[in-house]
Amino acid sequence: MTAIQVSGLVKKYGTTVAVDNLSFTVPAGSMFGFLGPNGSGKSTTIGCLTGLLDPTAGQVEILGQGFTSESAALKRRMGVMPETLGLFDPLYAHEFLAFVGRMFGLDETTVRQRVTELLTALELTDSSKTIGEYSTGMRKRVAFAAAVIHSPEVLFLDEPFESIDPAGVALMKQWLRRFTDQGRTVFITSHVLETVERLCNQVAIITKPGKLVWEGDITVFSRDGAVEVGGARFTALEPLFLHLTGEKYADLNWL
Amino acid sequence: MDRKLIAELVRLRYKLMWAKTRSRNGKIALFLAGYLLLVMLLALMGLGGLSAGITAVQQGRSEQVAQIVFGGLFMEAIIAPLMLGFGMNAVFSDYELRRYPVTAMDRRLARHFIGILDPFWAIFLILELGLVVGLYAFGGGSFWAGLLAVLLLIVSNYMLARVIGLAIDRLVNRKGGAGILMGFVILLAFVPGLSIPALKHNPQVGAALLKALAYTPPFGAAALTTGAPLRALGGLGVIVWWLIGLAAVLVALEKRPPQRQTVATSKIQWETPYDRIARIFGPANAPLAAQWLRFCLRNNRFRVLYVLSLPLAGFITYQMGGKHSGPGLALSMFTAALSCFPWITFIGTSRIAVNQYGYAGGAFRRYQLLPSDPAASLRVGSYVNLLFGSLMLPAGALLWILFSPPPLLISRLLMLVLMGLAGLFLLHAAGLWATVFGPRKGNYTASFGNDMSAFGNVVVIGGVLLFMAPPPLLKELLPAALAPENWWWTLVAAAVCIGIYLFSLKTVSALLVSRREHLMAIVEGRQS
Repeated sequence: MTAIQVSGLVKKYGTTVAVDNLSFTVPAGSMFGFLGPNGSGKSTTIGCLTGLLDPTAGQVEILGQGFTSESAALKRRMGVMPETLGLFDPLYAHEFLAFVGRMFGLDETTVRQRVTELLTALELTDSSKTIGEYSTGMRKRVAFAAAVIHSPEVLFLDEPFESIDPAGVALMKQWLRRFTDQGRTVFITSHVLETVERLCNQVAIITKPGKLVWEGDITVFSRDGAVEVGGARFTALEPLFLHLTGEKYADLNWL
Repeated sequence: MDRKLIAELVRLRYKLMWAKTRSRNGKIALFLAGYLLLVMLLALMGLGGLSAGITAVQQGRSEQVAQIVFGGLFMEAIIAPLMLGFGMNAVFSDYELRRYPVTAMDRRLARHFIGILDPFWAIFLILELGLVVGLYAFGGGSFWAGLLAVLLLIVSNYMLARVIGLAIDRLVNRKGGAGILMGFVILLAFVPGLSIPALKHNPQVGAALLKALAYTPPFGAAALTTGAPLRALGGLGVIVWWLIGLAAVLVALEKRPPQRQTVATSKIQWETPYDRIARIFGPANAPLAAQWLRFCLRNNRFRVLYVLSLPLAGFITYQMGGKHSGPGLALSMFTAALSCFPWITFIGTSRIAVNQYGYAGGAFRRYQLLPSDPAASLRVGSYVNLLFGSLMLPAGALLWILFSPPPLLISRLLMLVLMGLAGLFLLHAAGLWATVFGPRKGNYTASFGNDMSAFGNVVVIGGVLLFMAPPPLLKELLPAALAPENWWWTLVAAAVCIGIYLFSLKTVSALLVSRREHLMAIVEGRQS
């Protein structure tokens, strides 16, 4: 079964093309890594897949149904951790999570139970600070909790692991694995290729401007296998990514 | 002092200001600001300061007129920054400046130097210079002494506005601070009006008061501009002492971090007054309403303006209507109150009402991710603002019942409340349009400063003027309209304004969907 189906997705800002005829499929129950260099259109694509942005052309299907920014019923089945986190700084973490839970239709008893459990698990129990006073890592944890509180079927995470301490990352990875084991889908963008390699089973790589250059199974790397692209053989994700995106390390002699 | 770095930061401030004019909204704002500035300068240089100077010399009362003009401008340049935020924008915070290799003293100097170079202060400087030129041209004062006087006066004016602003900020951040502020402002608003009759009966008190005023910056500046050398020196001394004192207080306040109200408890409160009040908006809207209630009530600027709006309206009502005595007093006070009632329902909520998403920043995305109508947050935010605004009506009505000159007529009270309703709905309708068509990234945590867009400023300032002007005109041109038996037209006005609000709510909600990407870019600071 397919969780996400993207066909001919185009997003333009005036004459600037941010996403160019992008098509890919995310199978249900997979941990899907969506990779690309800075400015390649990853966040724009996530924006189109989650209703934040309206595509210029193309179709998005989620859980077998056509998705637009107005698809309220489908949004209830999705969880999103956006790039900017989307947090209300004046609120306390429990107030924010309760707000999100209620908006996603959870009953009051479930809201209270899940908020308490999430805050405890993510070590966010200091109720004397508002979200605006939290560190970057704590803010990420709150945004992650908000994305999962309603137990969605498809989870979109835009750079979820940056700024979170190793223990927090380990906990989140454990949750995400359990999440996919239950047949649910995770769609991740990240620049931490080692994490993506260990966590994801499927990967799509795009380059500027939002063009798909590779899509495939990366579990071969963990089985000491290799991926062949254009005659070249890659045994890890990082060299594959650098080869496909043409990224180079600049040499600054004075540094 | 690293002058080069400070100069570079000042340049950066103006570069940033100029960068904002690259957008369409920025160009409109620049054009409007330039046009208004030119008109104001021409009008006020010609009719204000300069002619006041000429009149002063002709009447042989140079120092007295200078005291009145400097004093009046000084007061205006304190009220305008506090109420409208002009001249109080914090371009760089101390924290932001720490990345540069400058000392704490340099950072402080740079921040305040940038602050005082705000165009707002230039307007007052020119007005005061107009008086100096007028006095000098007709032999009523020295130009160079006058120039020095107004430069020092502007600096003290800026510093006093900053000190008051910071003091209010620190006060409202304390538990019960908003209440203390309200009491203080009520005292300030009503005591001068009530004390005038008392002063008339006790002229010796008035004389003592005038003597005390001689030790204030405007009076010091007046003495420096018009006085003989020894008196001028005394005037200079007064301003310099004020500058030293204000600098000391400013540094002390800036060094004292705001004490935020926190409830140190590990127990989560699930059932709060926010949640209980939010339920009146219905089960579907309750979560959003609770979020908006918290968003407003935890905002310092909202709390300050909300607390100040009613005493300010009382002060203006008394100033506009309390000049008459005898039988004309009741009508005069009623006319003034009719001018003020419509905007008391808006001033408190105005900043958020004209820019609902500007202070949310990245959180605007959250609204779009929720499984609800994308415009639901706009509507519920507006309902919450209406709720806050409407609470001013019974409070205003109560003040009118307590303080209005007899006889108390129910029909007049009804007219006031109905005009209050008209203002509530019309101004919040305009706020909806400004939210979607004139958004601007704002600073939620700042207590002062004007970070509204040009559209927002037009709605707030224009909205207040729109309701202030008609009642005095009606009193002169169509007095029957203010007669108690003709109360019905205020009902019509309220009904029309409610209609405009409902139309705006529906139309703007539909337009929000097509504008949201643009809105998102602006409130997240990616576009200006």
